[in-house]
Amino acid sequence: MNQSPFGTSSVDSRVPTLCTIVPPHVLDRLASAEDADIAQAARRTLARDAALRAARRAGVTPALPPAPRSAGTAAAEPRRTVYDAEHRTALPGTRVRGEGEPPLRDATVNRAYAGLGATHDLLCAVYGRDSIDGAGLPLNATVHYDRDYDNAFWNGGQMVFGDGDGRIFLDFTLALDVIAHELAHGLTQYTADLAYQGQSGALNESVSDVFGSLVKQRALGQSAEQADWLVGAGILAPDVSGEGLRSLKAPGTAYDDPALGKDPQPARMADYVRTSSDNGGVHINSGIPNHAFYLFATALGGPAWERAGQVWYDTLTGGELAVDAEFADFSRLTVKTARARFGPGGAEDEALVKAWSTVGLPAEEDD
Amino acid sequence: MAPIMRISVTRTGGFAGIERQAEVDTTARPDADEWHALAKAVLAEGTRMPPSVVPDGFSYTIAVDGHTVHCADPALTDAQRELITRVLNEGA
Repeated sequence: MNQSPFGTSSVDSRVPTLCTIVPPHVLDRLASAEDADIAQAARRTLARDAALRAARRAGVTPALPPAPRSAGTAAAEPRRTVYDAEHRTALPGTRVRGEGEPPLRDATVNRAYAGLGATHDLLCAVYGRDSIDGAGLPLNATVHYDRDYDNAFWNGGQMVFGDGDGRIFLDFTLALDVIAHELAHGLTQYTADLAYQGQSGALNESVSDVFGSLVKQRALGQSAEQADWLVGAGILAPDVSGEGLRSLKAPGTAYDDPALGKDPQPARMADYVRTSSDNGGVHINSGIPNHAFYLFATALGGPAWERAGQVWYDTLTGGELAVDAEFADFSRLTVKTARARFGPGGAEDEALVKAWSTVGLPAEEDD
Repeated sequence: MAPIMRISVTRTGGFAGIERQAEVDTTARPDADEWHALAKAVLAEGTRMPPSVVPDGFSYTIAVDGHTVHCADPALTDAQRELITRVLNEGA
């Protein structure tokens, strides 16, 4: 098991946990409103958000005092509830810990609670989003689902975690990136809603691996260079030969074990796996966009959730990504998005074009 | 229906995306009747077309002497869950 990723909250404690609930374009309108109080409040919010973003871009932690509550901002605290299925399969199960309630003796419950918080905090503090729907959606998780259950999933409304069978898999809440991965399925559902089949399904999976990794890296205070870029490190039983379930750094190398088989992920389009299993290989071919994100983030260096993560977040939530998007649609849109946010020809643009080229995907509309 | 002999379960998807397959031959089993009752219930409840799956959810293909049905987590019936668990645990 890794060191606890939840203890290091140095990042969290300095950034005011305030999210813009009203979108910037609405604030723009409010800022020119006739009512002087509303206009002033909206302008304050816009200025504060811009300062925060600029500070983030410059890599410094802004020392801004919390903004006064006003039109446009609100304290965006998570609204978490953890349930215990008590090894049965009825959902959500028995409510065991709600928001603000003290930790229980059950570490699984506490890990799920902390994981929901760390994910909420990335969305809120870094991307200015209040919960996965952008409107403060309560976050619910059920632990101890079924017996010896070797899985975790998002059922469209909540997360569900099994304890593992103890021989191959351990408790799925042991990996923060797994918790965040599941919650990121909710983020995708409320935004691009990528269809869970074939390439759009693999993009859905990849987005969850990317944001899962970003939540973990931010909680650990790791730069792109320091991160292990593994998904599911810590949930494989001790006798299993593997570091985790997927590697964004080196897809196809996460595990190689008699019981599990070998990690089947490709890193490049040339090795794309055609299969009808796993909804057309959604957990297999996700290795390709996963690796592109790794290449992009490590070329930029520093905290991956800032510039690289921002481009992925903008692409996912920007409204242009189609439900049935294929890899090439996604790669082109990320480049367009990076240019819109950071300007064409800059370090971000160059690093991203090179990353997609390395995995064999286009960057330009006419590629 | 002829006496049931072979029951196989294929599980795909899941967070790990790792496929598992197992089969039970009920011919020489003392609890064959129990297996047959369970298998019949599952055939009656399953769908011919694979149902839509939730992200990271397992989906299952159950074959009973050539008759195939599909189901997926978390919407399993008690009979489906029991048969899947038993075949994956006891089958080869």
